Amino acid sequence: MTTTSPAPEPTASGTAVRRKEDARLLTGRGRYVSDLTLPRMRHVAFVRSPLAHAHITSVDVSEALETDGVSAVFTGDHPALASVSLRAQSGLPGYVETDQPPLARGKVRFAGEAVAAVVADDRYHAEDGAEGVDVEYEPLSPQVCAWASPEEITDPVHDEAPDNVLLSRTFRAGDVEAALAEAAVVVDREVTTNRHGGNPIECRAGVARYEIADRKLTFWSGTQVPYIVRTQLAGLLDLPEGNIRVIAPDVGGGFGVKAVLYPEDVALCLMAMAMPGVALKWVEDRVEHLLSATHAREHRYVLRAGFAADGELLAVKADAWCNAGAYSVYPWTAGIEPLMAGGLLTGPYKLAHYECTVRGVTTNTSPSGPYRGVARPSTVFAMEALMDSGARALEMDPIALRRRNLILPADIPYTMPSRLVDDSGAYEACLDQALETFGLEGWRAEQQRRRAGGGKPLGIGIGIYNELTGLGRAASAGPRMAFRTGHDACTVRINPDGAVTVFSGVTSQGQGLETTMAQVVADALGVTYDAVEVRIGDTDESLWGFGAFSSRQAVIGGGAAHLAGEHVRGKALALAAALKEAPVEDLDLRGGEVYMAGQAKSIISLAEVARVAYLQSDRLPEGFEPGLEGTKFYDPIRGAFAAGVQLGALEFDPATGEIGILSWVCVEDAGRIVHPVIVDGQIAGSIAQGIGGAMYEHLVYDEAGNLTTGTLLDYLMPTSGEIPELTIGHVSTPAANPTGVRGVGEGGTLAPNAVVAGAVADALGVEVDDLPVTPASVWTLLQGVTP
Amino acid sequence: MQISLTVNGERHRVDVEPRRTLADALREDLGLTGTHLGCEHGVCGACTIVVDGRPVRACLMFAVQADGASIATVEGLAADDGTLHPLQEAFSRCHGLQCGACTPGMLMTALHLLDTEPAPSRDRIRAEMAGNICRCTGYVGIVDAVESAAARQRELAPEA
Repeated sequence: MTTTSPAPEPTASGTAVRRKEDARLLTGRGRYVSDLTLPRMRHVAFVRSPLAHAHITSVDVSEALETDGVSAVFTGDHPALASVSLRAQSGLPGYVETDQPPLARGKVRFAGEAVAAVVADDRYHAEDGAEGVDVEYEPLSPQVCAWASPEEITDPVHDEAPDNVLLSRTFRAGDVEAALAEAAVVVDREVTTNRHGGNPIECRAGVARYEIADRKLTFWSGTQVPYIVRTQLAGLLDLPEGNIRVIAPDVGGGFGVKAVLYPEDVALCLMAMAMPGVALKWVEDRVEHLLSATHAREHRYVLRAGFAADGELLAVKADAWCNAGAYSVYPWTAGIEPLMAGGLLTGPYKLAHYECTVRGVTTNTSPSGPYRGVARPSTVFAMEALMDSGARALEMDPIALRRRNLILPADIPYTMPSRLVDDSGAYEACLDQALETFGLEGWRAEQQRRRAGGGKPLGIGIGIYNELTGLGRAASAGPRMAFRTGHDACTVRINPDGAVTVFSGVTSQGQGLETTMAQVVADALGVTYDAVEVRIGDTDESLWGFGAFSSRQAVIGGGAAHLAGEHVRGKALALAAALKEAPVEDLDLRGGEVYMAGQAKSIISLAEVARVAYLQSDRLPEGFEPGLEGTKFYDPIRGAFAAGVQLGALEFDPATGEIGILSWVCVEDAGRIVHPVIVDGQIAGSIAQGIGGAMYEHLVYDEAGNLTTGTLLDYLMPTSGEIPELTIGHVSTPAANPTGVRGVGEGGTLAPNAVVAGAVADALGVEVDDLPVTPASVWTLLQGVTP
Repeated sequence: MQISLTVNGERHRVDVEPRRTLADALREDLGLTGTHLGCEHGVCGACTIVVDGRPVRACLMFAVQADGASIATVEGLAADDGTLHPLQEAFSRCHGLQCGACTPGMLMTALHLLDTEPAPSRDRIRAEMAGNICRCTGYVGIVDAVESAAARQRELAPEA
């Protein structure tokens, strides 16, 4: 007699399981690099340049060496460091390669550049020693503006680039001039976006220890990219790659800032090699972070667009300048922002005629690097500004104009003018849902009511965007670098007791990847979520992963986890079938038990299968090797575009310029969702960072190259008092990868610039060309429009 | 200087330089690394602890100023048997944390809020928590968590 199988275990994916990270992070038991203490560990403080551009004429370390507790002082000319340079490489034609020393040699190129490092018993004594380092400078003319005319450049930042341009590229499709000539209207805009940065709550941190007997270096680092760090360090330190172990334990936020290998990191490792057996620790403070961790988003766009009378976008012509800062960020290069800007400027809109010249320009400011959304918060702002100008010129509804030009499902796969292939087509679905959730009609009515009857002016802003996520080898992040970031690996190991350990190449800085990988493996393998433990962030444990950037890990690391789980499931079932003399095709693995089709009772547990595999080789059937594990790589080849729409209703106080956010709606296509609460958390957090960049965060240099926003009293990050309630919705069109997910880490940052600026324009009938939008800038705009 | 502190109910004697911050004394001398440092100039709130019943930025206080004080840190929130405090439970359930760097300060600020106001509105929670910066969550989960923990605490202590 047959019985029906038991109801399948609830699958882990798609449910808001408790995050595996939470128990330790909520109880103060996290393991951050900042917390790490090793026996006889010493501490490092860097001496930083007070000048933006200067020759170093002398460095006197004698007083520092006399300071209590100080054991060593290193400068750029120290034999341990003198021959090493970070050189961000790219095969892009015309790219000018430049060197970045671990500690400045001969000259300094930005205020905050590390010039010397002091090693002492604790951070207090290291800072005492740093005060005793006497550096003499001969000032050079600084250049802080990336769009200065060439005659303004007196002293180039790098001799190799006399015009300060490290890279320039033109994207071309169709015939822009001919299309503009046929356009019913042509609109011009010139916009700039404000320099700001990631500012994770845990600043950069590293501990390096070198064992000379076996030439092994261990580097604990709050990095997003431990495997890239290991590869790059092997070359820089001249060590076999297998002799380097990079460990990224709990990391207190990253957002791209920690996807960079910094000169301070390399200096720390080189100093550790010069002081074998002594663990050296560097934890930066916030002032150092603001000065010298990578910045982003200081761009200028000169734009022209042509539209047909029915609103069709015919042509876009653009010139863009991205401030790359003093060094070509390692290893991503100064191309990271300009190439992303040129590649994705046109966003979710169909376009045949496109010409865009982008430049990465070096200046005497802190280097620019990857920051959540790389360049696209700026390009979405630029593109949506063009759409709003087009709508005004055509006297067309701005949303109708956008809708007229969206890439639709029928257009998929759509080859963008930059030749990137869009697989989404969910823009209109996101737009429809966002408009309904937002209640556009109601807000328009309220706007009219206020215009007629008084009240604070109210504006509605919109941003439609595509987030290019999970880039495979054909669309890999980075400009023709020495590595292609398309793949990750995952190993799934069934332990002798039947529990599962996953060795994943992903890294986590708060995204909950331990949880997400455990969910994916639990379902692919057929065990419970609780039976899975995930190890990440240690290059000696997991095989390979490029790390956290480009919203890639759920797609690529998740794909590898799924494939590895399926593979080991197959192995376990094959062994179970042989042990129970049952046909393997009739077996199923659920909740850690093996079932025969049609039977309610398990025929063998995974634990027993594992026990045989490891401990009872006498029971192993012919042809089976001991052990139960497997490793798989995954590469999506192209990538998954994720569509998104954000709408905001904002009001503006005519007396003070104060900005009030009344409603904020976001609808994104995250594909199939593994953990709904984590996904919404990524979206909410990225919107908050986007709002920060749009309204508050601004790293300001004066003309001499001094950072004038060097503390959190001047550099304003939004709090719970500023970020409004956020309404998040989903359109879920599964992507063509093993788990069906689309990346979700960055999209939220892309629209707030456009939403806030668009709302100001809508409320006040003005054009907003420069960010951030602040009460002062709104007040100034209001003076121009009110009598 | 010799000072004595009571931290989460346990007495400690430590020898500190006068310039040593309370945060460094907790983290490095007592090994209580749950208290995090985010800015070291009193803005971000990551190092918030409760000293003699009041929330304090541990980066802005010298250890010697805490001589004789009674201090509560995140390590003392959960019960001895590991049962999470209602705030910790709510932060997990509502996704009020991601990377965990701001979380100890958020929890200690919220602890003080709920100790002084058992039924704060969402606006009140937003205002009170505005001294702590979170870079990950967009605050939605944090506000949800504090609201939810307040409700739970009221259930547990209906007479309050």
